[in-house]
Amino acid sequence: MLILTRKFNEEIKIGSDITVKVLSISDGQVKLGITAPNNVEIFRGEIYEKVKQTIIEASLSSKEKLADLSKINLNKIRKITD
Amino acid sequence: MQIKTNQFGILEFDSNIIIKFESGIFGFEQLRDYLLIKVDTDVLFWLNSIDEPEIAFPMIGLRLIDEGYPQEIEHEAFGIVNMNPEILKITVNLKAPVYINQTNKSGYQKILDSDKYPVKFNLFKE
Repeated sequence: MLILTRKFNEEIKIGSDITVKVLSISDGQVKLGITAPNNVEIFRGEIYEKVKQTIIEASLSSKEKLADLSKINLNKIRKITD
Repeated sequence: MQIKTNQFGILEFDSNIIIKFESGIFGFEQLRDYLLIKVDTDVLFWLNSIDEPEIAFPMIGLRLIDEGYPQEIEHEAFGIVNMNPEILKITVNLKAPVYINQTNKSGYQKILDSDKYPVKFNLFKE
């Protein structure tokens, strides 16, 4: 692991096309601005881990014997979006 | 080609129906080639790995759950389902949709940057 110390407004370049900039620092929180090409996916680490874990569980539980789901009511979302 | 699946036994198919995931599925990045299986009597789709046929993901079309779910051009959005012997504990992942283009046989997965979509949303209700 490379450890770099940066101040407010300073940047880190990762390769030629990814830039991470320190936008603000305040009690225990740092705000970063990331510029990267569209094909580079950027995730919060803990969310990526949670998604990955859920999908690994899904692949394991896919071996369960199938129940007949055809007569059960789907839990539809009326309006989850704004 | 043929693979031996957990749920459906041995399936034979032409290689031109293989769906390619260039970046794989989160947690299974090394697996790129999948078979999309639909049984007409069931609401679920199955995304079954071809390289490791014991790996499969049950999925549901997210339009069925949420008409306002984020769509992508020419792709269909699916949610990976976590099965459970107790039907009411079956959940669907709304946070990390799988988008599939059945015309050009390609797909990719996203993580939505919104707290509105949980990784485990109850699929059924009483």
